[in-house]
Amino acid sequence: MSIDPWPAGYARVELQEIDSTNAEAARRVQDLTGPTWILAHRQTAGRGRRGRAWADPAGNFSATLVQRPGGPPEQVALRSFVASLALFDAFVAATGRANSFSLKWPNDVLLNGGKVAGILLESVGNSVSVSHLAIGIGVNLANTPTGPQVEARAVPPVSLLSETGSVVTPSEFLDLLAPAYARHEQRFSTYGFAPIREAWMQRAAKVGEVITARTATEEFTGTFEAVDETGNLILKTAQSRRAIAAADVFF
Amino acid sequence: MTKHSHDADVAFIQALAELLRENDLTELQVKREYDEADSLDVRVSRASQVVAPVAAPAPVAVAAAAPAAAAPAAAEAPVSQDPAQLPGAVTSPMVGTAYLQPEPGSKSFVSVGDTVSEGQTVLIIEAMKTMNQIPAPHSGTVKRILVEDGAPVEFGAPLMIIE
Repeated sequence: MSIDPWPAGYARVELQEIDSTNAEAARRVQDLTGPTWILAHRQTAGRGRRGRAWADPAGNFSATLVQRPGGPPEQVALRSFVASLALFDAFVAATGRANSFSLKWPNDVLLNGGKVAGILLESVGNSVSVSHLAIGIGVNLANTPTGPQVEARAVPPVSLLSETGSVVTPSEFLDLLAPAYARHEQRFSTYGFAPIREAWMQRAAKVGEVITARTATEEFTGTFEAVDETGNLILKTAQSRRAIAAADVFF
Repeated sequence: MTKHSHDADVAFIQALAELLRENDLTELQVKREYDEADSLDVRVSRASQVVAPVAAPAPVAVAAAAPAAAAPAAAEAPVSQDPAQLPGAVTSPMVGTAYLQPEPGSKSFVSVGDTVSEGQTVLIIEAMKTMNQIPAPHSGTVKRILVEDGAPVEFGAPLMIIE
């Protein structure tokens, strides 16, 4: 694997154990001087979307990038795509297998069609500006979580080790992820969402196929057409063309 | 799907509003089970000047109930046509989904009548798996909550009134 140097301007913190790296990010945000990666070798209370537990067996990767990006929240939320592209690149750097990985809206990375990683972004802000953004990333490096925490219909979890045989430690994975993120962040802040969106679509799974998006109150099934210029999932259903801002996607 | 009539719902809610006014109450909450798939869950409140169904199954109650609740409040203050224009309005900074609780099943960030301080998180708007916590723009009392948990919201949509 080729390793780019650690990105300039990004701090790095490694912890043996923490409740949740996103929670730790919120506690540390006042003291930050710049964007900071917080890696925990064990999370005792890892979290997923809407309070779902994120199982974190030993050997897996849990880290949060906390930063003060500025800008309005709808712009900040587009880092969902920036982060998933960085994660995709880190996986390819670790395994050399670009064709095994794909992306699922908005930010899941799939390995051979299984869920190998999850990203949860948390921000605080009003319409003018976001005060901070925490990008929490969990990767099944060595172990595949099993049991009741896997929701019915969800993409089945897999691990990097079981699918590819690649042995990567959390610290080594951060060495790959941090430069990849810095590269995509630089592109995003310089050229905006357009190149990020284009790169994301090239790596997306199920484009042109029928998928289901479940929001908090409704469910839509239709053809996955695109991601629009504000990051919405565009589904062509039997009735209409829908732009969806927040949902869980099922294949 | 709905077996009981819309008119019956309206009459029932009007009766609740009447009861509220006559007994000088500030809030009344009633749940009626018609059958497993059909129930009506209403909260009538004078302090907040709104009648809102607490649960989704009976959306018919919303439009029907509003005039009944507005009547007793009319003497105190004119009801604005657009809550987003009210001075204490908290509006959505983005298109997304509104969440009133940190996670499903937990306590709401705030309830009507709560005192909040500036910067305190009052709800979450999610877009693209980014959970954006909305801070109270100023200190005050939560007068109205204008969105339901899990509701889709547009940019600029009024979410809450804090005065």
